[in-house]
Amino acid sequence: MKTLARGLRAALATGAILVSGGCATQVTRISPDQQIDLSGRWNDVDSRQVADAMVRQSFQAEYGPSWAMQFMQQHGGRKPTLIVGTIRNRSMEHIPVETFVRDIERAYLGSGQVQVVASNEERQEVREERADQQENASADSRARLGRERGAQYMLQGDISQITDREGGRRVVYYQVDMTLVDLETNAKTWTGQHKIKKIVEQPRFRL
Amino acid sequence: MTKQTIAAAAALAALGAAACAPRMQPVRAVQPNGAIVRSTQDDDIAHARAQGQSERTRLAAEQDAVQGQALAACTPMLCNAIARGELAVGMTREQVMAATHSGPAAWEERGGGGITTLTPPDEGRAPHDVLGEVAFVTLQNGRVSGYAYREPQGVRLVSSAADATAEGTARARAQALLREGDELAMAGDFNRALNYYDRADIISPNDPAVTLRMARALDKQLRPYEALIRYQLFLHQLEIERIHAYGDAYAQYGAAVAEARSRILVLERSGR
Repeated sequence: MKTLARGLRAALATGAILVSGGCATQVTRISPDQQIDLSGRWNDVDSRQVADAMVRQSFQAEYGPSWAMQFMQQHGGRKPTLIVGTIRNRSMEHIPVETFVRDIERAYLGSGQVQVVASNEERQEVREERADQQENASADSRARLGRERGAQYMLQGDISQITDREGGRRVVYYQVDMTLVDLETNAKTWTGQHKIKKIVEQPRFRL
Repeated sequence: MTKQTIAAAAALAALGAAACAPRMQPVRAVQPNGAIVRSTQDDDIAHARAQGQSERTRLAAEQDAVQGQALAACTPMLCNAIARGELAVGMTREQVMAATHSGPAAWEERGGGGITTLTPPDEGRAPHDVLGEVAFVTLQNGRVSGYAYREPQGVRLVSSAADATAEGTARARAQALLREGDELAMAGDFNRALNYYDRADIISPNDPAVTLRMARALDKQLRPYEALIRYQLFLHQLEIERIHAYGDAYAQYGAAVAEARSRILVLERSGR
C-alpha cells in the first residue's frame, strides 16, 4: 500500500513538472527569411513575396527598358517623381499593406532611378512643421515655402481575394495589382501583378 | 441486424462519402513550410542601381554634347530662350532639345526635302518647355519654323515671335475658348457658351469680338439689360479701336455695329 502511494506521488510530481514545462512560454528567434505558415491567412511571407515581385517587375520590362529608364531617356536623364496613392484591400482579411508599400518605396529610392515624394498623409505633418518654422526658426535655417516637388506618377493598387472552402479544406487565392498612373494624362504607365494561392487543410478533431 | 449487415452499411456509407468528395490531383507545394527563401529585393535594387547609374552617365554625356552644340551657335535671343527653357522660332534641333531638357530618344523625326517634324514618340511622356507640353516642332532647313503646344482647349500653334509673346499666347487661348463657346452656342447651350466667353474675356480683355458674342448670347437668353450693356460696351470698345486703328475696326465690324445699334434701340424701347 505504501509502495503504491509512493509511486502515485512520484507519478503526480512528474506529471506536474511535465505540465508546467509544457505551459512555459518558449521564444525562438528565427530568420525573417524563414517562411512559416500557421493559419493560412495573409502573413509576412505573402507581404514579402508581393514586394519582391513588384520590385522585380518595376525594374524589368517585358521588352525594352523599364518605365523609369524610358522616362530618363526622354527627359535628358531626369528621374521621374512618384507618389504612393491608395492600395485598397478588397479582401475579407486584415492585410497591412504598408509593409510591402514601404518595401517598394525603399526599392525605388535605393535604385536611384525614381524620386519618391511624401504621400498625402505623410506631408500634412511635414507642412505643419514647415509652417511652424516660419514663425519659430531662424531665417537661415527655416525651410522655404512653395518648394515642394510635384509627382508625375501615382502608384495605386488593390488586393483581391477568392476563397473556396469544403469541409476542413480551404483554397485561398490573393491577387495584388499595382498600377502607375500618369498624373497629367491618367495614362497607365506600368502595371504589376502578383498572385498567391494556398491550400489550407485543417484536421476535424484537435487536442 | 447482423454484424455483417452493419459492416456492409458502414462500408457503403464510407464509399458514398468518398464518392461525393471533390476529386483532385495531389497538390504539390511550391515552397515547403519552414523553408528559408532569401528575399530577391536587395539584388534587384542593386542591379537597378547599377543599370540606372550607367544609363544616367550615358545620358549626361549625350546631354552635354547637345547643350554644347546648342550653345555654340545661338544668337543672344535664342541663348536667352534656352536659358529660360522656352522654345523659339529659329532654333536648331539641338537647341530644341536643350530648351526642352530632352534627348534624341524624346523625339521622332519625320519628313524630308528640307522640312522635318519632331514629334514625341509617346504622347504620355511628351517633352515640356516652361510654357507647356510640346505637341510637335517643325523645322525648315534645320531651323524651327513653328511649334505647337498641347493645351486643354486644343493644340496652340506658334509660328512667329509675336505668337510666342504673352499677348500672342492670350490671343490664341482666347480664340480657342471662343471656338468652343461658338460650338456650344450653335448647339443652343447659351449658359455654357457664356461661361467660355467669360473665360476668353478674362485672358483677352477689351476684345470687341468677345463682347459681341456675349451680347448675342445674353440677348438670346432674353436677358435684355445685360445684353444692352454688352452691346453698348461693344460699341465703346470699337470707338477705342477706331481711334487706335483709324477706321480699320469699323471696316471689319461694319455689319456687327449696325446689328448692335439696332438691338440697342429695340432693347431700350422694350425696356421702357
